[in-house]
Amino acid sequence: MTVEGIVLVVLFAATLVVFGFVVRMLIRTLLLGKPQGGFGDPLRRFWSVIVHVAGQARVLSQPAGLGHFLIFWGFIFITLGTIEHMLGMIIPGFSYTAIFGSAVAGWISLLQDLLALLVLFAIIYSLYRRFIIRPVRLKIDDPAARNEAVFILSLIFILILLMYCIKAIGIVEGTIDESYAPVSRIVSGLFEGRDIDLGLMESVFAWIHHLIIFFFLLYVPFSKHIHILGAIPNIYLRNLGPMGTLSRMDFEDETADKFGNSELRDFTWKQLLDLYACTECGRCQAACPAFLTDKPLSPFRMIHRMRGHLTDERKRLLNSAGDDIEGTPIIPETVTEDEIWACTTCGACMQECPPFIEHVQKIVDLRRYLVMTESRFPSEMQPVFKNMEVNYNPWSMGYSTRADWAEGLDIPLASEKKEFDVLFWVGCSGSFDARGQNISRALSSLLKKAEVDFAILGTEEICCGETARRMGNEYLAQTLIEANIETMKKYSFNRILTFCPHGLNTFRVEYPQFGFERPVIHHSEFLLELVREGRLPAGAVEIKKGAYHDSCYLGRYNDIIDQPRELIKMIDGVSLSEFGRHGKRSFCCGAGGGRMWMEEDIGKRINEERVDESLELGVGDIFTACPFCLTMFEDGLKSRNIENIKVLDIAELMVEAYSAE
Amino acid sequence: MKIIVLLKRVPDTEAKILINQEGTGIRKDGVKFVINTYDEYGIEEGLKLKEKLGGDSKVTVFCLGPEESTEVIRTALAMGADDAVHICDPALESPAPFTTSAVLAKAIKDEGFDIIFCGKQGIDDDTAQVQGGIAEALGIPQVNIASSFELSEDGSRALIGRRIEGGNEKIESALPVIVTCDKGINEPRYASLPGIMKAKKKEIRTRTLADLGFDEMPAAGRSKILKWLPLPKGGECRMVEAEEVSDAVKELARLLREEAKII
Repeated sequence: MTVEGIVLVVLFAATLVVFGFVVRMLIRTLLLGKPQGGFGDPLRRFWSVIVHVAGQARVLSQPAGLGHFLIFWGFIFITLGTIEHMLGMIIPGFSYTAIFGSAVAGWISLLQDLLALLVLFAIIYSLYRRFIIRPVRLKIDDPAARNEAVFILSLIFILILLMYCIKAIGIVEGTIDESYAPVSRIVSGLFEGRDIDLGLMESVFAWIHHLIIFFFLLYVPFSKHIHILGAIPNIYLRNLGPMGTLSRMDFEDETADKFGNSELRDFTWKQLLDLYACTECGRCQAACPAFLTDKPLSPFRMIHRMRGHLTDERKRLLNSAGDDIEGTPIIPETVTEDEIWACTTCGACMQECPPFIEHVQKIVDLRRYLVMTESRFPSEMQPVFKNMEVNYNPWSMGYSTRADWAEGLDIPLASEKKEFDVLFWVGCSGSFDARGQNISRALSSLLKKAEVDFAILGTEEICCGETARRMGNEYLAQTLIEANIETMKKYSFNRILTFCPHGLNTFRVEYPQFGFERPVIHHSEFLLELVREGRLPAGAVEIKKGAYHDSCYLGRYNDIIDQPRELIKMIDGVSLSEFGRHGKRSFCCGAGGGRMWMEEDIGKRINEERVDESLELGVGDIFTACPFCLTMFEDGLKSRNIENIKVLDIAELMVEAYSAE
Repeated sequence: MKIIVLLKRVPDTEAKILINQEGTGIRKDGVKFVINTYDEYGIEEGLKLKEKLGGDSKVTVFCLGPEESTEVIRTALAMGADDAVHICDPALESPAPFTTSAVLAKAIKDEGFDIIFCGKQGIDDDTAQVQGGIAEALGIPQVNIASSFELSEDGSRALIGRRIEGGNEKIESALPVIVTCDKGINEPRYASLPGIMKAKKKEIRTRTLADLGFDEMPAAGRSKILKWLPLPKGGECRMVEAEEVSDAVKELARLLREEAKII
């Protein structure tokens, strides 16, 4: 082995040792978090890594993601070359040609050569994006975030240039086959016929190159490029269950003096791993209704700042012997109260995130602490909680009036019928809000027309708890959930029907956490089923153009996207248009996560942003399948003084289709 | 400082109130009961004072009401009150204000007190007499409908603000004093979950009339509720229609004179 080889081995070994210590520290940091399990199903997980790491599926869902794809694969091939070169320095005579034969080695070289060129273009374009285009998704108030990205991109750029130079010298010296290195061949023109010591020059380039690689290995864990280490395990360990599911809290311990999360150690280790996984691509904020309407929340910045906080805290926490030192609260220095209350829990951030970070659960965990432990929340939420406690609905309406909408309609009550096929869960909106009541009446008239064997709970029904849960009041939510389960267990029925996507999601995903599982069906699915079975005619309306707005909890959370559209298309006379942002990428109406009952006094109102989108596109009327979306659209249209656009729930649309017959 | 807060259990503001058949009270089925809204301001003011003073200050809740009142008492304890005295006696099912004042005053006197906070009135029967009765029975000053409260710097006197027509009034009072609170004096807190958990273990001392040393109902007969009557059924709305407005007016006048007999 040459002296050069020995020095390289020693340096490499030293780097690896240090890197090992760093990784150990990172793992110990994760283990500061609470335990979390449930990572079974390895086959699906491996497949997910192939699709999302090797295939970069979510990265490529936006055009700029191609740049990342190229840099990712380019870097891998360049690293293959780096390994070859290093081994060559250590073991004289080593080369891929010697091991795999000239064909394989040639192909590696060719791919490397071409990909590296594409990477160069990708880096130039990335810099152009960061300095000239400045897209909304890369906007962050921390200049360090951009500087770090630029620094890393520049390092990669330099690495590639060095690689070309090394290969070019190899061509001049005849050690590399130029037919498999078209770009390097062009570069070799620089070195051809010059009176310099090419061997020395190659050696200098190689050393700079390799030292950068070593530096990179040690720098990565302390920069945003920690995602190279974090994203792969995070994708493997990602939530394979329904999105946005909140953890069930345990209130058995009556001596506990803290509920919810206030500091890093309150999160699970997987939630902390999320922080390592962030690529800072900003797709989350570019989809976030709060961020896009100038609220203080950016999911991107939240994760960025929490990771910074983790870096600041870990030394202190790791050096302490256990739980006896206080963790620094995350609120207000790292994340502000205004940020966490701005979230509509719409899940658009999580839908976009390439390494599957879960922002919403973290926000709700932080809310839980503020609400339950500190009783600190926007003052307008207090009457909402109290109304839910006393009258079991978010509005201040007497609970005994819950079934008043059904008066005179002869709607069967569960308490009278005992056994039936479908439990029609009316929900708070359907029971108390004037427009919601109208949907309840429309839907029940359709059920009767189709002779569905159904019943409502009447005044036995109480708030499903979804809103309280997302507002962070888990204790109140569980009280409501448990009471509802008690009530529902009294009756025998096959499925729950609801027109509120929030109720749908909570029954489908969250009630099972409390031991109650029953098929849940949304009225868009059910009505479609009835029409298809011929139990309901599709009907016809006068010529009407309109767009269907996907509710977050229906489309994004529960994948019910085509059913309402198909139902609408069956009605003669309706021509369906589309919002730009629709389906899984629909834009929130602004009402989720308890925002329906909170003031929206920062930035532009989310519902107005959505109404403006509909006006710009000229989509016509608005069809909804969520009572909250409907309210938000009506309010938004009112504030824009638009009177000729109607907002209709799909059940109302169907009733209209019959009365027109 | 011994801080006393009074609370009353009242039907929820959104409850549908119906008079029972005998006319002795309201129908309780389907009615949710809550802490009297104004008393919440009293509790909050008591808690704020305790937090400000620290040390061995203590907030004790006094409530006169049926057995079920423990639920609202626990809510006050969850908000942060230290303990509670619940006066519960079958004889006190529907007491007149004089009686309530006399019983509460005796219980408060037995406990010892430096200041009393409560709501300006109960939102159920709106008599607003109990507070005055207590002040009278204890021989202490009373400041009604307070919109602000603080202690003087040396802690010996109470400084109370009141909103009056066209301005504010500042009152200084000796201690002990009973302060009845108005909306706006503070924002009552929402009980935290640790507070709720702790409240389960806090002491509620139950007292009967006999425990308080009453052989018979105090102030009995000074006033009593004779009967509860439902509101007369609302009249029906009739639209007077005619071709000409002047004819409609004539017809309306005739109806008011001949049928309604009010003009």
